[in-house]
Amino acid sequence: MSISVLEMKNVRKSFGSLEVLKDISLNVKEGEVVSILGPSGSGKSTLLRCATQLETMTSGNLSYMGETDPKKMMPYYGLVFQNFNLFPHYSVMKNITDAPIHTQKRNKEEVYQQAEALLKKLGLEGKENAYPCQLSGGQQQRVAIARALAMKPKMLFFDEPTSALDPELTAEILKVLLQLAKDKMTMVIVTHEIDFARHVSDRVVFIDGGVIVEEGKPEDVIDHPSNERTQNFLKKLQRG
Amino acid sequence: MQNRKKIFKCMLFVCALFVLAGVFGGVAGKAKEKKTFTVGFDAAFPPYGYQDDSGEYVGFDLDLAQEVCNRRGWTLKKQPIDWDSKDMELKSNTIDCIWNGFTMNGREDKYTWTDAYVDNSQVVLVSKESNIKKLSDLAGKIVVVQADSSAKEALVGDDATKENKDLAASFSKMQEVADYNSAVMNLESGAVDAICMDIGVAKYQTGKHKSLTILDQKISSEGYGVGFYKGNTKLRDQVQETLNEMAADGTVDKIAQKYADYNLPECVCIGKNTDVKETTSAQKEKVSKNTDSDTAQEEHVGFVGKMKQGFANFGNITKQLCKGFGATLSIFFLTMIISLPLGLLVTFGRMTKITPIRWITKIYISIMRGTPLMLQLLVVFFGPYYLFGIKLASTVPHYRFIAVIIGFSLNYAAYFAEIYRSGIESIPAGQREAAKLLGYTRGQTFAKIILPQMIKRVMPPVTNEIITLVKDTSLAFVLSYMEMFTMAQQIAATLTNVMPIFVAGVFYYIFNYLVAFVMELIEKKLNYYQ
Repeated sequence: MSISVLEMKNVRKSFGSLEVLKDISLNVKEGEVVSILGPSGSGKSTLLRCATQLETMTSGNLSYMGETDPKKMMPYYGLVFQNFNLFPHYSVMKNITDAPIHTQKRNKEEVYQQAEALLKKLGLEGKENAYPCQLSGGQQQRVAIARALAMKPKMLFFDEPTSALDPELTAEILKVLLQLAKDKMTMVIVTHEIDFARHVSDRVVFIDGGVIVEEGKPEDVIDHPSNERTQNFLKKLQRG
Repeated sequence: MQNRKKIFKCMLFVCALFVLAGVFGGVAGKAKEKKTFTVGFDAAFPPYGYQDDSGEYVGFDLDLAQEVCNRRGWTLKKQPIDWDSKDMELKSNTIDCIWNGFTMNGREDKYTWTDAYVDNSQVVLVSKESNIKKLSDLAGKIVVVQADSSAKEALVGDDATKENKDLAASFSKMQEVADYNSAVMNLESGAVDAICMDIGVAKYQTGKHKSLTILDQKISSEGYGVGFYKGNTKLRDQVQETLNEMAADGTVDKIAQKYADYNLPECVCIGKNTDVKETTSAQKEKVSKNTDSDTAQEEHVGFVGKMKQGFANFGNITKQLCKGFGATLSIFFLTMIISLPLGLLVTFGRMTKITPIRWITKIYISIMRGTPLMLQLLVVFFGPYYLFGIKLASTVPHYRFIAVIIGFSLNYAAYFAEIYRSGIESIPAGQREAAKLLGYTRGQTFAKIILPQMIKRVMPPVTNEIITLVKDTSLAFVLSYMEMFTMAQQIAATLTNVMPIFVAGVFYYIFNYLVAFVMELIEKKLNYYQ
């Protein structure tokens, strides 16, 4: 029986009078890959931002590996942003190594070796000294993934990692995610890409109106949705 | 929390600086003994006080003051002042007296005076070609007076005669200018019809400008004295005593002879039993004689001729301006060194979550941006005395310069702060979020992620501001700090030629060209990323 890396219980989040998350609970087990689907404004990004403590929950409980102290949970997770958010004034190498060296106080040598290995794994050899602006979107997103992985997190969140990329580059990222899944990386991915979700995930969660409408194996939720809202959403996507 | 502490510490430090300055001022004030005699004068007022070709302050009044000091064993300090600020300078004790062709008439009760040592009358300077031959011809004309001058006082002051008031009322316009040099430029260019001024200066101008002449009819007769702060009779009596000695042994006349070109020997009245009226009529003859001979001697010197004169002086002017340029540079660099980091501190104050600090900073920025820099400089220099009775200006050494730097730095810091803030706010929130997730502290995030990107973003507006600063240094003239532009105006007054001002313009342009060049280099250097 594998243990839960992430546990969210009865999470609510309001912005003023607008309640965006209405009592959401989500568990993610070690090695599990969960895709979160849902229409725009459904609250899936807010869910991610609450899970990564970029937003403070209005109420509810959050824990990583049983740890509930907000400060002590930070090292357990990493986040890959939709628009990468690489540091433009740092080279690829510095983007990846600066935080492990200066915030985790790890050995420089070790961090550099790890970074080299990550770059190789993600097909970015020779880009060590390039600046983000000199890279394609797909390359930038791979650097962002490398940066998150260099922190050695227990799990990774992806916030629509391919929505700023064209289909070809999307395939690049999908390849990386599949590889990470093979390595048993725990991941939660917010995405619009149905195929993407079908290929990568062990479980799909469909959110609408701030609640989890349906969840289950990708083939069940995506191919045979039982909920009407899920059916409508998927229909619209297929039409588009 | 850490950040708040840092901000608080910085604020404390600034406060401590101010307190230290005050204490230091107090101590210095006690330690100093009264041996220096500081004479305030308008350095653009030949022959009484002006700069000679080598940049030294000379003139009849300064020579007299020097002689008084020699005899009394004092050290003379020649302090050029902005004429409009003379009362503030006197009151805040930065000068001991005003000795500068200072007309007593109409100001009898405002100062403690010595006896008149020079008789001076207010006359009208016009172009020879004009049809103005007597005072009544001035009706409907544009007439210039220097701001706060005795000519103005004689025409429209409280003690002006009814005749003069009527005369002034007949002008189409009475225009005020800052100095006589620009008044003469106005007259020559035909922008105005006449200038009312002291006879000594008027003669100096007719000597230099052959196209000008002095009307025979005078506006008033009056005397020059040394003005002390009202009630300072002790110092007045000492100076008067020595002046009387000097008059008795002929030293005053001897000094006046040095300035014979300006008809000074005829004007000196100390120790002589002539009453003002006689002198005036005697002068009248001489004036008309002089103008006659001038007419016979000289052809009209045109613009080209004047430019030639200017170019002949070019080397000399440049040499003198170089000295002033050093002062300009020191204002510029010190202001930059202080205001660039200070601006960052102000930005923190402006963006902090601590409401009182944020509000104080907001008000500070609003005042700095909403009032003229010139006024701020005056407040820094004169404020300590007028608001708190602290005589910083006379006790802290170099307070004049310190005030200039404080004024400029406070003002520019406010502008830089707002530029920095716009730079910081233009950085996408994702940068902070990414940093947070990577475990950077708030301090690390600012120093490593936000600040470097902010600097790149604010380079163009900061360059703009720095270039403005180069030109703004000329505002230091309100505190009579001798930077390049003040100096250029003084030399221009002495040479009665606008060349020095042109040369100063060239200096500013070249320096700004260099500044822009350096800033462009830095911008290029920061262009390694987008």
